[in-house]
Order: sequence, then C-alpha cells, then structure tokens
Amino acid sequence: MGAYFGFANSKSVIMAKVKIRIDGKEVLANEGANLLHEARLNGFDIPGLCYHRKLTPTGACRLCLVKVEGQRGLVASCTLTVKEGMNIVAFDQELEDTRRFLLDYLISEQNTSYDDTYTDELRELILRYNLDKAENRFFKPIKHEVELKIDDSSPVLTYDPSKCIKCFRCIKACDEVQGKNVLSFTQRGLNSYIVAGTGTWGESECDGCGECIQLCPTGAIVEKPHRDTISISKVEQRVRTTCPYCGVGCQIELLVQNGRIVRSNGVEGVLPNDGRLCVKGRFGYDFVHSPDRLTKPLIRKNGELVEASWDEALTLIASKFNELKQKYGPDSLAGYASAKCTNEDNYLFQKFIRIAFGTNNLDYCTRLCHASTVTAMLKSIGDGAGSNSIEDFETTDCLIVIGNNIIETHPITATYIKRGAAKGMKIIVIDPRRTPLVSYSTLWLQPRLGTDVALLNGMIREIIVNGWFDQNFIENRVEGGMQAFSDLKDLVEKYTPEVTESITGVPAEAVKEAAKIYATAKTAMVATGMGMSQQVTGTHNVFSLLNMILITGKIGKERCGIDPPRGQNNVQGATDVGCHPTMYPGYIPISNVENRQKVAHVWGVPFESLSDRPGLTTVEIIQAALQGKIKGLYIIGENPMISDPDLNHTENALEKLEFLVVQDIFLTETARFAHVVLPASSWAEKNGTLVNSDRRVLRVRKAIESPGEARQDWEIIHELAARMGKPMPKYRDEAEIFDELARITPIMAGISHARLEHQGIQWPCPTPDHPGTPTLYLDKFNTPTEKAKLFPVEYTEQSEQATSEYPFILNSGRILYHYHTGTMSRKNKVLTDFVNKPYVVMHPNDAFKLGVKHGERVKLTSLRGSIETQVRIADEVLEGELFMPWHFTEAQVNRLTRDELDPYSRIAPFKISAVRVEAVGD
Amino acid sequence: MLKEYRIVLRNSGLIDPENIDEFIAADGYRALQKALKSEPIGIYEEIIDSGLRGRGGAGFPTGTKEKAAAVICSDCTRYVICNADEGEPGTFKDRVIMETDPHTLIEGIAIAAYSIGAHKGFIYIRGEYGLATRRVQLAIEQAYDRGFLGKNILGSGFDFDLEIRRGAGSYLCGEELTLIESVEGKRGHPRIKPPYPAERGLWGAPTLINNVETLANFPAIILNGAKWYRSIGTEKSPGTKIFTISGDVNKPGFYEFPMGVTLKELIYDVANGVKDGKPFGAALIGGAAGTFASEQHMDVPMDYDKLREVGLTLGSGAVIVMDDTRDLNQVMLSILRFFKHESCGKCIPCRVGTTQLYNLLNENLTQGNFDPAKVYPELIRQAGMIAKTSLCPLGQSPILPLKSLWEHILVSQIANQ
Ligand SMILES: Cc1cc2nc3c(=O)[nH]c(=O)nc-3n(C[C@H](O)[C@H](O)[C@H](O)COP(=O)(O)O)c2cc1C
Ligand code: SF4
Ligand code: SF4
Ligand code: SF4
Ligand code: FES
Repeated sequence: MGAYFGFANSKSVIMAKVKIRIDGKEVLANEGANLLHEARLNGFDIPGLCYHRKLTPTGACRLCLVKVEGQRGLVASCTLTVKEGMNIVAFDQELEDTRRFLLDYLISEQNTSYDDTYTDELRELILRYNLDKAENRFFKPIKHEVELKIDDSSPVLTYDPSKCIKCFRCIKACDEVQGKNVLSFTQRGLNSYIVAGTGTWGESECDGCGECIQLCPTGAIVEKPHRDTISISKVEQRVRTTCPYCGVGCQIELLVQNGRIVRSNGVEGVLPNDGRLCVKGRFGYDFVHSPDRLTKPLIRKNGELVEASWDEALTLIASKFNELKQKYGPDSLAGYASAKCTNEDNYLFQKFIRIAFGTNNLDYCTRLCHASTVTAMLKSIGDGAGSNSIEDFETTDCLIVIGNNIIETHPITATYIKRGAAKGMKIIVIDPRRTPLVSYSTLWLQPRLGTDVALLNGMIREIIVNGWFDQNFIENRVEGGMQAFSDLKDLVEKYTPEVTESITGVPAEAVKEAAKIYATAKTAMVATGMGMSQQVTGTHNVFSLLNMILITGKIGKERCGIDPPRGQNNVQGATDVGCHPTMYPGYIPISNVENRQKVAHVWGVPFESLSDRPGLTTVEIIQAALQGKIKGLYIIGENPMISDPDLNHTENALEKLEFLVVQDIFLTETARFAHVVLPASSWAEKNGTLVNSDRRVLRVRKAIESPGEARQDWEIIHELAARMGKPMPKYRDEAEIFDELARITPIMAGISHARLEHQGIQWPCPTPDHPGTPTLYLDKFNTPTEKAKLFPVEYTEQSEQATSEYPFILNSGRILYHYHTGTMSRKNKVLTDFVNKPYVVMHPNDAFKLGVKHGERVKLTSLRGSIETQVRIADEVLEGELFMPWHFTEAQVNRLTRDELDPYSRIAPFKISAVRVEAVGD
Repeated sequence: MLKEYRIVLRNSGLIDPENIDEFIAADGYRALQKALKSEPIGIYEEIIDSGLRGRGGAGFPTGTKEKAAAVICSDCTRYVICNADEGEPGTFKDRVIMETDPHTLIEGIAIAAYSIGAHKGFIYIRGEYGLATRRVQLAIEQAYDRGFLGKNILGSGFDFDLEIRRGAGSYLCGEELTLIESVEGKRGHPRIKPPYPAERGLWGAPTLINNVETLANFPAIILNGAKWYRSIGTEKSPGTKIFTISGDVNKPGFYEFPMGVTLKELIYDVANGVKDGKPFGAALIGGAAGTFASEQHMDVPMDYDKLREVGLTLGSGAVIVMDDTRDLNQVMLSILRFFKHESCGKCIPCRVGTTQLYNLLNENLTQGNFDPAKVYPELIRQAGMIAKTSLCPLGQSPILPLKSLWEHILVSQIANQ
C-alpha cells in the first residue's frame, strides 16, 4: 500500500490501471492500491472510520465491509488490494443493514455530543444512517466499567475517551506517519482507551505535532488553542499556503474566522508534507495577531522612535539614501534581504538594491547558515541546493546525517527518515551531540567538535583501501578522472583509522564500519547541516564530504546525493532570486558582461548603471559599517542583532551607521537601532511564492488583512524605488512580478503562479511544459565542464581551542519549539508552553566537577562577552563541550561567538567558541 | 472399560519428565535423528500423508501449513512457534504434555523446524503455567546439552534455537496472529488475515504455528510412518485426541483416545458417569468457543467432521459435563461474561456486541419471568451479525454456544413444557 499514492507529481509509486467492477459498473483502479480508497475515488462512498490513506489498514470499524466475488462472507474493503477483474458489491440492502447495525452498536457506547469545533466523521455517518435521533437507535446505551477521564494535560490537545471509537488512527498517526510512537491503548475491550507514554499527554514524549488530532475521525482528540472561539460552521475561509517556519515548506490550510486565523491543518495529498506538520506549523500562527505588531511607520526623533506617516517616512528614507549615495558613493549603501519574505519581495529587493542603491552589497542570513555548503557545492558540483526530493529520505538505502539535528530542525523531513528506518534504511548519525535521531540510527559517530575533515578523510581512506570506490563514475563524471582520484588518495593516506581516532575520538572500528555501510549501500544520501557549515573550516568540511560522495558515485543517481536542509522557509528562494553579492537571479554571475546586459534589458535600465563590483557579505557589511565604510543599511525581515556572530561588535556597527532602515513586522532587537522602522506584512497577509529545501517553488497565499497601516514588503520597496528616482514598472500583482523574475531566472523560466495552484514544482524547470526536477545531476553536473570536481583538503586544527582559562567548547543551535531569533515563535502560547527559557546543556561529569546543579544559573564567558543562563545536565553532549539554543534574547549566545570567517564562504563559526562557566547562584 | 490409546501421552507418568535419559531410553529423539537424515520435503510430505489435523481447535491439516511455509520462498528466514497458550476454558491437555513429557514436544518442534527450514522457534506458554514452564525450560537446557538443539544438531549441519515466551493472561493471545504480535512484544490485538502466518508471520517472516498436541504427534508419525498413523482414528481425522473431561462426572481428567470415540463412552465408560447418579443435562464440547451437546448426541463419533455435521465442534477437546439440575442460562451468562472480558476491543462488533449480548441476557435473567423464546432469537441474531462482521475468530465464537444451546436443548425444553 503506497502511503503516497495520490500525489500528482510523485515518482514514488506509479501503478497500472486495471478494470474492476463495483456494483455492476466497470471502473478503472490502480492495481495494488487500497480497494476502499480506489472505490471512493471512483465515487463509491463506502463508509469507514478506521481507514486513512496514510496509514496501514486496521480493519477495526468493519463499516467498509463489501462482498467480493469468489470470497466467502463479507470482507473489509480497506484490507484488500485492487486486482484485475475483481467484482465487488459495495451497496446492497444486506450491506447497508449491516453497516447501520454496526454504527448503532458503536454509538451505544459513545458520547455523541458535538460542539462544532472539529470535523466529525462519525457524526456525518450518524446523520447518513439516520441514527441521530434516539428513537431510531435500537441498542441500549452501555455504561463503562472504568471511569473515562479526560486528559487535558497537553498544551496542544484534549483527549476525551468517551468520544473515542478506538479506531487506532491516532496511534498509527503518531507511529507510522510521524515515527514517534507515543500512543497506545491501555485496558482491554470496551474499557480500552488511549494513553500517551505511560500516563498523561503532558508527561509523555509527545512533542505536539498534532498529527493525531488531524487524523482522529471524532472529537476524541481535539485541538486546544482557540477551542472557545472556533466554530467550524462559521469559518469564512480556508486558505492553502506554506508554513512560515523552516525550510521544509509544509503545505498548510489556514482556517479564518472573524478575520483571524483560528486553526492550521496540514494539507493532505501534496508534497512536501502530505498533511504532516510539526508543532510550529500547526500551532505557530498566533504571532500574526500579536498586539506587538508594528502598525505605523516609526521615525527616530530626538533619540526616540515615534509614529509617523508613510509619506513622511518614505520621503525621509529616499532623500537620506540618495544623499548618502551621492556623498559616499553607491557602495556605502547595503541591504539585508529576508529569508522569511517571498521570492517576489526578495526579487524586487535585490532589484532595488542594484538599481536604486547601485551596489551589490546585498546579502542575508544564508551567509550565517549554509554559505560554506553552498560555496563548496557550487565549486564541486555546480548547484548550491539539495540534489534530492524529500520522499527520497524514506526510500534511499543509507543516509548519513552529519552536523544536523534534523528531527528538531527539519521535523517533517525527519518523518520520512524515521519511516525509512522502520523499513530497514541504514542511518549513520555523525554528530558531537546525541541528537534525537541517534535512537533511530544504525551507527552514531561522535567526533570532537571541529574534527570533521579528519573523520571524513579517514572514511575516504577506508573506502579506497577496501576498493569500495566507483571507478566507472570517477572516470566518467569526475574532472581529471583517476588522476584526480589518486591525488585524493595520496592526501588521505595518512588518515589511518587509528590516526583518525586520535584526532576525532571516534573509535577506529566505527570509522571503518561507517565507511563500509555508506560505500557499499546501493543508494545513499547525505544530509549535512550547520554543524558542518558554521565553522571556520566550513567550506573544507563540505569539500571533504563531497569527495567521499564523489568517489563512491553516490550522486547523480536517483536516491543518491547531498542535501543541506535549509533553515528558514525561503532561505533557498532568496538566493535563487538574486539576493547575493555576486550573483543575479538564477545564479548568474554579475561579473559577466553578457549577463549584466541581459538583466539590464529586462529591467529596462542602462547597462552601465549595474555595478560589476562584487558586493559585501552579511558579516562583512557589519564589519565595513564598523570601519565606517558602510553608511546606510536597509534591512527587511532580518534580525542581525540576535543572529549575527559577536553581537557586541554588531551593536557597535549598527550604532555607527548614519542611516538604518528596518522593515519588519515587529520592533526587533535590530529595529531598536533604526532611524526609520517600516511596518510590513506577515506571511499570512501575502501572496507570492517561496522555495523550500528540495528546490520546490511553493505558493504563499493571503489569508488575513495586515494590521493598522502595515503594508506589503514589495509595495514598500516599489514605492521607495520611485521616490529615489529609479521607478520600476507597475506590477498588477505578485504573479506579474514572478513572471518578470522567471524571465531572467533560467531555473524557474517554466514556472508561473498558475502552475503552482495544486502543488509545488522543483527547479530547474526551464519551460512551461517541464515537470520540474526531483533529482539533480542525473546526466551532468552543473559546472562548466559538466563534471564534478574533487577538492582534497587537509584537516587543520580549529583556530579557537579550549584553554585553561576558557576550558569548554560551546556549540549552539536550534530546538524544535523555537525558530531563529524567536521573533515569531516566542509569540505563540503553545510554543512557549513547551519551552520558554534559555539553557545550556552540560555533561554530568562536568557539572559534578564544577559543582553546579540542574536548573542552577551560570555565567558563560568567552573572549567576546558573557551571558547568564540555566544549566541542563544531560549526557547528550561530550565532556568538555556545551550546547545552547540561540533563540532567546535574554541569553544571547552570539555575545560569545566570534566573527572570524571561513576564508571561502565568509561564514562565521557559531558552533565553536571557547568559554568558561561559573555558577552565579539562583 | 474402554482402553486409552496413547501416542502423545505414551510416556506420561512412565518417565521422569526432568530426566532426559529416561526419555532417550524410551526411544526419545530417535525420530529427530531419522528426520535429519531425510530431506525436509520428505518430512512434511509424511505429515501430509498422515492426515494429522491441528489440535488447537480448528482442525486444519498440519502438513499443508508446513508445506506452505516451506515453499513460499527460498532462502528466507522462517520461524516455528508452538502455541501453548491453552486458554480455552476446560482445556488442560497441553499442560499435561508439557508437565509430564516435555521432550516429546521439543522433539516435535525440532522436526517441524527442520521440515520448513526454520532456525529459530518459540514456545508461547500460558502465563499461569508455572510448572509446565519450568519443565519445558529444563528440558530445553538438557536438549541443548545433548546436542538436540543449537548449532549443528546431531552433526547434521542443521541449526535450531528454541526459546520460551510467556503469555500474560489474555485468551485472545492464543489466536495465532495475536500470539505473533505478542511474541513481537506488542499488545494482544489480532492482525488482519490474510496474510496467514505461513505467508507473513513473526516479524513478517513465514511462520509455522501449531498447537502443543499437534506437534507432540510428530515424533510418533516420523518413527512409525503415515500409514500407521492413518490406521488409528477415523478416515478424515486420523490419530488420537486428548479429551479433558470436567464438570459433573465421577472421574474427571485427561484421556487420549482414537478419534471417533463417542460422548457416551467418554462420560460413562471413561469418566465413570454423571456425579451423584444424576441424569445427564448437557455437555459443552470445546470450551467457551464450543457447542452444547445434548442426550441426542451421545452416539456421534467424535471427530472434526462428524461433529460438525450435527452442529457441534470438537474444538480443543474439552468436555464439560453438566447434570440436569444445572441452570444452563447461567452457564450461558458466564460464557458471555467470558467473551465480554476477553474481547480485545479492536473491532466494533465484538467489542460492543459481547457487552450487548451479556447485558441483554443478564437483564432478562434478573428481571424474572425469563422467556428464552423471546431472548435467544435476538441473542442469536446479534451474535450472527457479530460473527459475520468481526475481525478475528473470537467474535465469531459467541454464536456457537448460543445457537447450540438454543437449538439442541432449549427449543426442546420449551416444546416439552
Ligand atoms: C480466541 C482464540 C484463542 C485461541 N487459543 C488457542 C490456544 O490457546 N491454543 C492453541 O493451540 N490454539 C488456540 N487458538 C487457535 C490458533 O489460532 C491456531 O489455530 C492454532 O494455534 C493452530 O495450531 P494447530 O493447527 O496445531 O491447531 C485460538 C484461536 C482463537 C480464535
Ligand atoms: S501530537 Fe504528535 S507526537 Fe503528540 S501524540 Fe499526537 S501524533 Fe504523537
Ligand atoms: S482518539 Fe481518535 S483516532 Fe485515536 S482511537 Fe480514539 S477515535 Fe480513533
Ligand atoms: S473479534 Fe473481538 S477479539 Fe477479535 S479483533 Fe474484534 S474485538 Fe478483538
Ligand atoms: S474502514 Fe475498513 S474496517 Fe474500518
């Protein structure tokens, strides 16, 4: 039973159509597919409560019974698969009587009250079989022998056993779909009910994803937020859009009532998520209605930000930027684009920076996440994006997850991985920290922080020594063929398993084992994360990873490749559409005259007006501001005052700017430094598109109105361009902006809003009839030679090491419940109910040595600064290492990090800072 | 007196069950030696020819199951499971085998494993069976010591490991697919059938699952041949059957007889008649999932098919005798209470229906003026719907005692009033 069938675009299961008969009518059905599902697709609305397309059949409710020619008795159609020539009776008097009998039975033990706060499949059937009135029911109500207690302990849901029909859908939703396995039945028979973990939901491992809520057919599990206001019959609009959080790009449906979002459901049957969501996607929308939203422009007057009119604000900005440009030249200005804004917003923003500012000083937070990954990938294989499609994470034979806490940072990608694991996929986790994925893995390597190159070189050596490389692939698809290979071979020669062990701390045997599992798997993928990229050696780390991938030929084939899941929902798209200091939309280098001519032509501007000088990157812009070289900065939807390394430094730089404009939905830490703050629109108030981690261009649709005088980002940019004397053409709507962007972005040339109506399309998509590209590099690499390139790299010691004064190495990262700088996630009750305090994780032995207790406050100090936070004692980190989430403004990790940059990609080493820890008492 | 014919129980009471040497001296493990010298296909062909049918209750041809598990794939992992959950009320034959001659069972399991190519087996023993578990455990250890289990058994190159798993007091866990779930460490809920265990059983692998008594027949069949076995019992049900007789009889106990023995012989010749000289009332054959026999069934030869022809089931071979003073409605009520308690709750008809049936009978019995002619047809109607629609065979069971009690006994009682 393909869990996936139903996807228009999926390559997973392609089934043959065969003829079957239902109630005498000949219909075409997918061979091997679920009979109940196929019957329903063909218009035979056979009842059934326990079956769900995404779950293995349960056969519990028995309502879907049919007669099958050649089989005795009645058979549950949800437990049958379609076979050519089947002859089925789906409706006759006996079957309908039987179903009514069963339903009547069911409601004799059921609390059938209904309050209009959820969709109730049971109730629909009760109405259909005329059992809503007591006098039509035959059976006496049954009293339960145990007390059915409501479990209200979870922040996200309420379970009422009196409404539970024991259909198993929640159990299987949690286990089979989300891979969490939190739920089960307790007691037996009539007295059975659902329990989470061993007791209540609140104490269980439930992480609030809500899959069980979405799949529960009755009111037994219902959503808690907005329970008192939502009324399903009064919902005005159901709007399909894309989740505002991480780079998975889950498709959600927003329910709008009285102009407010009251619920978010996963959209079933389309990729990337097929209805699945994580706690943020399902419960993280409240921030749009926050009273803290900016509703009016603010202008700094006498040191204070005060409300102003749009006209005053825009006039001021235009004149100020023009003045700075004239006085100091165009390269004294810079822009920060936004990984949270749409492609349309970002496209116009980069166009604005390039034509109105006249500079390429244009970047955004991607520099802080995956710049090194992208740099290495562009050089080696030609594209900086993930090579595979999200479903491949379930179907590949082997997956290495390196430096990537994927269960927390890309929870829905992780569901595919967990499902793969359940079917026998081999998972190798390489992480200094015991991430949750470790419990699903075949092997976990725990290298010391910053020793990745040594580990990978050790694995490469092992692969070569054992002859597990793919000579054919190397000869045909790698530049320099076996000669290049032999250079790599020479370089890794000294990384024997023993040497590797001495550098990384990973046992020699485990290095060998990992190399063997990966190299000898039929198909294998690698998911690389910020643990790899956010180091001074970030680019080198990824080079060595790519070396391993290339010599084993584990790329350029289906279910093989390298995937760096992206942090924010449009971090991929913002670069794709040109928010990059050296590239135009579609990764077209600005240095090339022909490119500039083409872009100038589409934009209708003089060729000479486009700068050919490479722009500065994110951290460089801040450094240049500190040095007084950047005078004016325009930031949309970014919060460098939390996200940038070495914040004390960032703070000084922002203070030095002559003019700072921040356009955002909240008065962020950064906006507090601005001269003008512009109120923008949230994702729920926008139309447009974005690009997720598997290069899928997805729609964003407007669900609600913006508060107060807040405006659309692209409209603000458009207006500013005009006021600066560089007007852009009039755009009717976002679709028209997309059309212009498609014209100069070859990878999206075939895409339009209209084509994205049903589901996303993966770039490259060069023509309107192209279906999109699920897997990259099947025929060639995107380099000039069309071959991939090896970059042998040596391991070098980290420039910052633990010392006697700063004896710990601090690692930083994200957690499931929060996101980025917390501006959005921390304005949601559910998410803050789960976690709302910063903390640092310390190994029990270190805690013992320092004499600090769980929950105690400590002060962390690095060469750059110091912060206070609480200690969590857990052995998920190695001794001598610490981990701290960076979402919390009250304990800003980036006060401790440094802005020493990777020389190739200019990424900062967020993952490695030497610190000391002191107890400060409660 | 009618003489027992002991195949399965041939050593019972004659040897020390804790002493493997006594078992070996009584020709023990010779059948295994013989089996290991022939091709596996020869073994299951022999079992097919013997006509041995499953003694767990359903009477399915054992060799056919073996063959199915053996031929479904080449070179795949397979398992053999011995069903020793023995949960059917009134049944204690498997306990006797395990307590008095555990090695016969182990030998049978090893032969079965060899015939299908399984290298791992489990005995799933009812949780309450402490002594049986200890004796089987000891016997397994002894068998390992002597090379009848483990690696390279008797130098044949065949490896087989055997392990005990204990049940936790659920009747349903005796149902084969539920039992498999339980061995996998999951809750006792039945799986959807098909696939049958022989196709996809334990951890998805082809699995042979047989009752204790069934497997304990293997050594004798292998040693003496299918032809010999067929010469015992009836044509369609060759061999012997252990009957466990309880209730209102003078000499309750376990007795092994060739198939075809009659109820009259069992009650009067073997169990020395109804207690206190009272007239016979009814006999419940096969346990809770069994059927009520009346006086009129005294001479029916007891085998799977002959009983079925008259609306009875042999089931596990339990015979619970009731004298004519017993209130059969109360007996029925406790059977319904049993089903209500044992229903796992997975499917609607059985979960709700077993309680509805119990409540209906209970309310009518406590109200006074009980009129079976009003209540039983409705009970039977609902039980019929439950049987028709339920997921696993447990839900198909309540109809058996209900319908047989009504048709065989209550109807004529009413007519005679
Ligand atoms: C509710 C229920 C309980 C059962 N309990 C047992 C049992 O305790 N022992 C047993 O051998 N078979 C039991 N069975 C029968 C098994 O499902 C299965 O048919 C048997 O193990 C097959 O072995 P056989 O072919 O050797 O009889 C039970 C069946 C049902 C439906
Ligand atoms: S909310 Fe998610 S994790 Fe929690 S029980 Fe439901 S499915 Fe499982
Ligand atoms: S809680 Fe809902 S999904 Fe779970 S078993 Fe009950 S009715 Fe089914
Ligand atoms: S018939 Fe009874 S025991 Fe079997 S699955 Fe249904 S509820 Fe469970
Ligand atoms: S939908 Fe088929 S049994 Fe419930």
